[in-house]
Amino acid sequence: MGKILREPLLFITLLVVLSALGFFVLYPMVSVFTYPSLEDFLSIPKNARYVKAIYNTFIMVLLSTSSAITVGFLFAYTFARADVPLKRVFRIISLLPLFSPPFMIAFSYILMFGRNGLISYTLLGHRYDIIGWHGLWLSETIAFFPMAALIMEGVLQSISPSLEYAGRNLGATGWKLFRTITLPLARPGVAGAALLVAIYVLADFGNPIMIAGNFIVLPTEAWSRVSGWGDVTGAAVLTSILLLPAFFFFLFQRYWVGKREYTTITGKVTLVDIPPTKWYMRWSLFGFCTVVSILILCIFFGLIAGAFTKGWGFDYSPTLKHWGHIFSFSKPLTNSIYFALIAALVSSSFALVSAYLVSRKEFVAKKALDFVAILPAAIPGVFFGIGYSLSFNVPPFDLYGTSLIIIFSMIFWNIPMGYQTAYGGFQQIAASLGEAASNLGARSLRIFWDIELPLLKSAYISAFIVSFIRAVTTLSVIIFLVTSTNIVATFRILNLVNDGFLGQGATLTTALLFLTFLILGCARFLFGRKIELFRI
Amino acid sequence: MPDIHIRIQNLTKKFGNVVAVDNVSLEIERGSFTTLLGPSGCGKTTTLRLIAGLYNVEQGEIFFGDRCVNDVPSHQRNATMVFQDYALFPHMTIFENVSYGLRLMKLPAKEIEKRVEKTLRFLGLEELRDRAPGMISGGQQQRAALARSLIMEPEVLLLDEPLSNLDAKLRVNIRAELRQIQKNLGITTTYVTHDQEEALAISDSIAVMNKGRVVQFGTPWEIYYRPKSTFVADFVGVANFIHGKVSGVTSKDILIDIGDQILKLDAYDYRVSPDQRVVLNIRPETILMSKKPPDSQSNVLTGKIKTHTFVGQFIRYWVTCGEREFIVDLHDPSTGGILDGNVYLQLPPSKLHLLPEEEEEESIPS
Repeated sequence: MGKILREPLLFITLLVVLSALGFFVLYPMVSVFTYPSLEDFLSIPKNARYVKAIYNTFIMVLLSTSSAITVGFLFAYTFARADVPLKRVFRIISLLPLFSPPFMIAFSYILMFGRNGLISYTLLGHRYDIIGWHGLWLSETIAFFPMAALIMEGVLQSISPSLEYAGRNLGATGWKLFRTITLPLARPGVAGAALLVAIYVLADFGNPIMIAGNFIVLPTEAWSRVSGWGDVTGAAVLTSILLLPAFFFFLFQRYWVGKREYTTITGKVTLVDIPPTKWYMRWSLFGFCTVVSILILCIFFGLIAGAFTKGWGFDYSPTLKHWGHIFSFSKPLTNSIYFALIAALVSSSFALVSAYLVSRKEFVAKKALDFVAILPAAIPGVFFGIGYSLSFNVPPFDLYGTSLIIIFSMIFWNIPMGYQTAYGGFQQIAASLGEAASNLGARSLRIFWDIELPLLKSAYISAFIVSFIRAVTTLSVIIFLVTSTNIVATFRILNLVNDGFLGQGATLTTALLFLTFLILGCARFLFGRKIELFRI
Repeated sequence: MPDIHIRIQNLTKKFGNVVAVDNVSLEIERGSFTTLLGPSGCGKTTTLRLIAGLYNVEQGEIFFGDRCVNDVPSHQRNATMVFQDYALFPHMTIFENVSYGLRLMKLPAKEIEKRVEKTLRFLGLEELRDRAPGMISGGQQQRAALARSLIMEPEVLLLDEPLSNLDAKLRVNIRAELRQIQKNLGITTTYVTHDQEEALAISDSIAVMNKGRVVQFGTPWEIYYRPKSTFVADFVGVANFIHGKVSGVTSKDILIDIGDQILKLDAYDYRVSPDQRVVLNIRPETILMSKKPPDSQSNVLTGKIKTHTFVGQFIRYWVTCGEREFIVDLHDPSTGGILDGNVYLQLPPSKLHLLPEEEEEESIPS
């Protein structure tokens, strides 16, 4: 503490950061926990719907996590280890779901495979209904496997191929090599990815609200408590139940699995060619990747087609009539972009300053700051949203119905993304650079400005973009916060779909997607290719 | 009366429960080249960083001249540092790196230009001024880091293993260059290394450190030929230790009973008493080895060559003499060829050095 006290500006910054995190992260959490009485919590087992929701959520976490990890691993293996035709194309396609609103996948699958679906009914003549647990399973698998693939690709790449050569040299081949060398080395990474995916599945609100039908899960049940019966207590109880496993997975991932990764064992990344792939492996992986890629492309095809089609399911003649409504969508659209831009800017800056304090300064509450800055990663969006609606509805912080409440929720929900990126960036900058500058006469702020900030530029921009995408596509966080005055696009889409205006919903989603990619393209154009997205 | 530039008094530095520097006192002469030498974790880098002001002094004092600098911030000590990894700012050109300190002082652009120009020319870097640090070789980076320190015209130059990232040949060249620059400029220099050969080659004086303490401070000659403990003898150069006890003391010689025979060594000013247990040390290159029995019968051992290694400038033999094993270096092997079989070792009385038996417990005043 001694040193930081001597620099008043830093000390004030630290105070601001700590109190902001306390007020906008911890306080809303406490609000949710303390809203219901102890009896409300104790009576959970007596409520059949609650028990059903808990059970269903548990089943979905098991199903979707396993399938997302399996698909993710096969993709990661293809990218990192196998010689498969078109693998670069597969990689790009597999990244697309990361840039789109999570509910979009479910929405599009209803268009393609639902009762009036283009493929299921129009092409195959089946009145197959995708609504239900199986539709949710498919949507969540497609929604969350890209994240898993990205993580596991990194893990596989960090395993030096020379280890596999050593295995071959000692007589292991094919499946045996994979089972005894590659898989054990990748195991901690796979476990880490599985836990992260499990957190995402737990917290998923957009897909179940669209496609789960009567299959209730915790986040959607919490929402229908409020929207149907005005039962805020019930919603607080349900989201609290949700937080528990999410928090546990998060701790497990961060403090147990994280420490068991073998990625640093060989230290140097050796430039050894990967061993050749057997022909049957190559073509099975190719077939698999093709099927999954088609499923992903279906999402975009369905949406865009939906936006230009007269009557989905019976009249496929092209039309621009949905786009006539685009002006009535302009408020939610501009709100979405505007809120997300501000939130991303503040969030990544705040995260940068927090990461600077934690990685460069000594002070008492350092561990606590580090923990709270990554804590929102464990908080399901609905919990976060309900926390804000319960916390900031009385003067002097009555933010009900304002833009501010949405912006604040987006800022602090996304802190961990920026924080982890910036923290990693600081770790990579040798401490001696700062010391050298200090030795030549630079003070703390000067060192930050002259040395560390320029070196963190690309990390900062990456954090900004990831925060922006998450903010613009989120439904779960804002669902409890929107009113007619601060409405955002994702919420409007949900309403349109619920009311049966599928064409208009598709149009608004397409427009949102287009604007998001436009802004991404601008960032790419401005800052070049050095930006790494979605590095966890 | 020597002109003491840096005086360290009872300096102690702890990190948590680990004592990194333990009650170190040291006097460094103005204009001298002083090396802190020791194995990794001995506290040498911590001591250097305390001098630089990168760590806070908690116990003890550091004086520059008469001024206590304990609470003087790093950049006001006029002591610039060259880091082990050079710490060149990767997003700045060599010019921007070297001029960084001057720009912080807000000197006029013209003067900065002039001084950078001069410094870069002095170190042969003028061609590289617009390059990024990643675009030049290790040796050039090392010189750029030196330039960035020297341009501040420091009173004290601090170097933290600056050569350890260079390959062997370059290291020897640059170390000679570094010594020459230091002599020309007359800057008081403190240098940290774990490489004993480097320390011997470059220094005016060496402080050998172990476990946070300075175990010996002296000239390279003293450190090599008159180590005060078996640790120093072993760490600097190659040592042959013979355990024994004092069996006789005259004004000229000391006799040491090593069990199977009595060895004689020059008395110098060792202060020992009869029956005291001691350790003798002799350097491999001072042992005389021959196939024929030598003329003199004193201090001669018979042994058998176990193995050898040919290094070019000399051959190193491992010779077994009963229970003991000696390392013997024979120079200029071009004429004698490689020996094997039984040999005679003669240990010249003037080359034997007396050490106390218990390591670090006491030292024999000399």
